[in-house]
Amino acid sequence: MKIKSLRLILLLGLPFYTTGQSLLDKLEKEPIDTVANVLGTFQGTRISIGHSVETRKKNTLEVSFMSRYWNVEQESSNSFIADRMCARFGLDYGISDKLTVGAGVGVPNGIFDGYFKYRLAQQKTDNSGIPFGITLVQAGTYRTRRIIGIERRDDFGDKLASTTQLLIARKFTRNFSFQISPTFVHRTSSISSLDDPNHFAVGFGGRYKVSNHVSIVSEYYYVANPLESVETFGAFSLGTNWQVKNLLLQFKMTNNQIFTEDGFITQTTRNFNTRDGNFFFGFHATYHIQL
Amino acid sequence: MNKTLLLFLFICMKSFSQNTEYIERQGEVTFFSYTSVENIQAKNSQTLSILNPKTRQIAVQILMRAFVFQKSLMHEHFNASYIESDLYPKATFEGEIENFNANDALQTKLIKGTFTLRNISKPIEIKATISKADNSYTIKGSLDVLINDYNIKVPALLSPNISKKIEITFNFNYAPYEN
Repeated sequence: MKIKSLRLILLLGLPFYTTGQSLLDKLEKEPIDTVANVLGTFQGTRISIGHSVETRKKNTLEVSFMSRYWNVEQESSNSFIADRMCARFGLDYGISDKLTVGAGVGVPNGIFDGYFKYRLAQQKTDNSGIPFGITLVQAGTYRTRRIIGIERRDDFGDKLASTTQLLIARKFTRNFSFQISPTFVHRTSSISSLDDPNHFAVGFGGRYKVSNHVSIVSEYYYVANPLESVETFGAFSLGTNWQVKNLLLQFKMTNNQIFTEDGFITQTTRNFNTRDGNFFFGFHATYHIQL
Repeated sequence: MNKTLLLFLFICMKSFSQNTEYIERQGEVTFFSYTSVENIQAKNSQTLSILNPKTRQIAVQILMRAFVFQKSLMHEHFNASYIESDLYPKATFEGEIENFNANDALQTKLIKGTFTLRNISKPIEIKATISKADNSYTIKGSLDVLINDYNIKVPALLSPNISKKIEITFNFNYAPYEN
């Protein structure tokens, strides 16, 4: 009996005791929209060398400087730091939160490029809908100079190439994201009849965040039907991304010197290793401006 | 039998007492970080708060993703690197208004309670102005929060850009809670 009445007192007392708690619990039950798009699958619009699923927000402009430095093989040169370098100056602009356009010019290789990318689907924080983000990229390039000499160079129409990519990425944990990118590359001309003007490739890219501002990234592109007239290898990159406020710094080791997708995916003539001629050090700096 | 009746009576009483609560669903919370290098400001207009004038209790829930910045990159960094809203989506406050008189038209009181941000709870005191209209209350005030208290890490390189002390202002308009 004693225990029963004690229990009753406890039961009566409990609601008074928990009133403070229940106010927060009541707020907890309020129907607020907590479902949102997953933020920051990757840090920039490029994972390392290739496009990431990320687009830029509306009215933001990014000014980018991309560069590669390498040594020429079998040459004991007097060059300062590296024998050769190559750069691309680019602009990326967010027309809307889903649509980003960009253009760039490469020196000294003389490649002009432009692209647009559109977010078809986004991964949600509560895992509703599809479990990954999908972005479509369409890029086009114009080569003003010969690079590895696989395209005809008779008139303007011979020097073009286009790349279509479907980027499918998932942020698995807060630190780890992975992307698979089925890619179609079309080149308007080939010198050798052995070379198919159309290439199918698939890219794999991963990011692992080591701190809130630094991540390690890697990418590899597999080409299903590579060029026949020259030996090519899959483009590979291993690097680190460092976000310093408005500035994204990307450092990488890679096996290619070209910044545009059709170039590095299908025309990487070096395998990845650290010997002179094969080893390319890359540095990208991207400055973010809110307009 | 007697006991069930008592319990029933008690539940009735409890639900009756709930009718005295007031709610705000679009409360405004703004924070400022002033430094000589850069001023950062963000506003949240979806803050939830509930007030019980009878028990003088107040509770607030702030959704961290809902802070709107002038610069989209700041929103991304705020959520991803500083507040880590994927791990800690909400900040909460619960407390009591000291010497609160539910019928005064205008009063300035101290609210004492616990503020929880990034799962770290600290006791805080907020000086607030409380005004009462026909069947609604308005509570306004401001407080300072030290980022060190809530283990918000700022890289040394960026420490000139982000103030150690963040000023938070709020403005809540409460209407009767309809359950």
